[in-house]
Amino acid sequence: MNYGRELLKGNTDSLLLCLISRQPTYGYQIVKELQKRSNGYFQFKEGTLYPALHRLERDNLITGKWQILPNGQQRRYYYITERGQQVLARRLATWQDFSTAVKSVIQPETT
Amino acid sequence: MVSNISHYLNRFKASLKIDHTIRDGVAEELYTHLEDRTQELEDKGLSREEASKIAVQSLGSPELIAEQIYETHAQGSWKEAIFSALPHLLVALLFTSYYWQNIVYASIILALTVGIAIYGWHRGKPIWLFPWLGYYLLPVVVSGILLLSLPQGWGWIAAFIYIPLALFVFIHIMRQTARRDWLYASLMIAPMLVTFTWFSSLGKGNELLASDWAARLQTNALWIVISFIALAAATIAFIRLKQRRYKIISLLIPPLVILFAVITASGGNICPWGWLLLLFALSAFSIPLWMQARAYE
Repeated sequence: MNYGRELLKGNTDSLLLCLISRQPTYGYQIVKELQKRSNGYFQFKEGTLYPALHRLERDNLITGKWQILPNGQQRRYYYITERGQQVLARRLATWQDFSTAVKSVIQPETT
Repeated sequence: MVSNISHYLNRFKASLKIDHTIRDGVAEELYTHLEDRTQELEDKGLSREEASKIAVQSLGSPELIAEQIYETHAQGSWKEAIFSALPHLLVALLFTSYYWQNIVYASIILALTVGIAIYGWHRGKPIWLFPWLGYYLLPVVVSGILLLSLPQGWGWIAAFIYIPLALFVFIHIMRQTARRDWLYASLMIAPMLVTFTWFSSLGKGNELLASDWAARLQTNALWIVISFIALAAATIAFIRLKQRRYKIISLLIPPLVILFAVITASGGNICPWGWLLLLFALSAFSIPLWMQARAYE
């Protein structure tokens, strides 16, 4: 089992909520943004993003709206909902606590 | 020649058995994703053919995406699950309380069922609709069977006028439902399976209905209630389960319970007409499941 992949799988929803909370965005932009911000650390099959987005939408954490671009192409932009913002805030707080606790355990003790 | 992107999207759509408006929406999202990626690679100097090939590879297996999208949309809420099971529970209530013999109560439930089925049909066919639709179709089919037993002459009129009309309605609804999902067709037919299986135990000799059919029905009321409750439980499981294979298993359990109940209650004493009805009910229920199994091949 790839530990990094498992960690990503467990935190996909929080990462997506975080990106969508910054600005309304669409699937392909999310993939590019994740790769850019993680310096290419997050590598995954891009198609797995869409089931995750639809799951978040089903749970009323985000909402998708079609927009027609000047060239006539349609894009589905995702917006965070109020419930999504509340869930994200709780998850970020939990993550901060968890991250601090992990760091405290793995750091060598200073005497 | 079919492009890489079209081929990919066709595979995706063929694998995803959900409401076509949702399916087409996700396919459109995947299409814009693939176009964006292809364009980006073309700007880097790749040919359209090479760029689209890499784009579809980056997206991953269309069948896997379809399966995951299905799991997201195919699971109904608890509210939907209970509403789907409600018609089975109402019929069970009719039998527990002897109300099935009361024309007023039976008519109220019939009118309610027809109203809800028509409402759901014109409101985008939500997941809870199909059991209601099954009860809506039930009187249509039962009336045809009963008309055949009219005195000589009248029976033929029924066969030439009513039955073709009823079959047209039945096939139309069945086709529309199966286009959405073959499993929903089985879910819709389930009330007929129970009714006809019980109907099959009410004959005597060559008669479809023995003279004491009502008394026999009341004697077996407890088994009938168990049959409808088994169906209600299977319906709740079907709506709540995410994975398709488990949904299929949940649909296979009620026929076994009902067959066991009918054979136990009637002591295996089923008239030839009854066996024919039983065969019809079982085939009508199994054909959609069989079509589903073929679709997997």
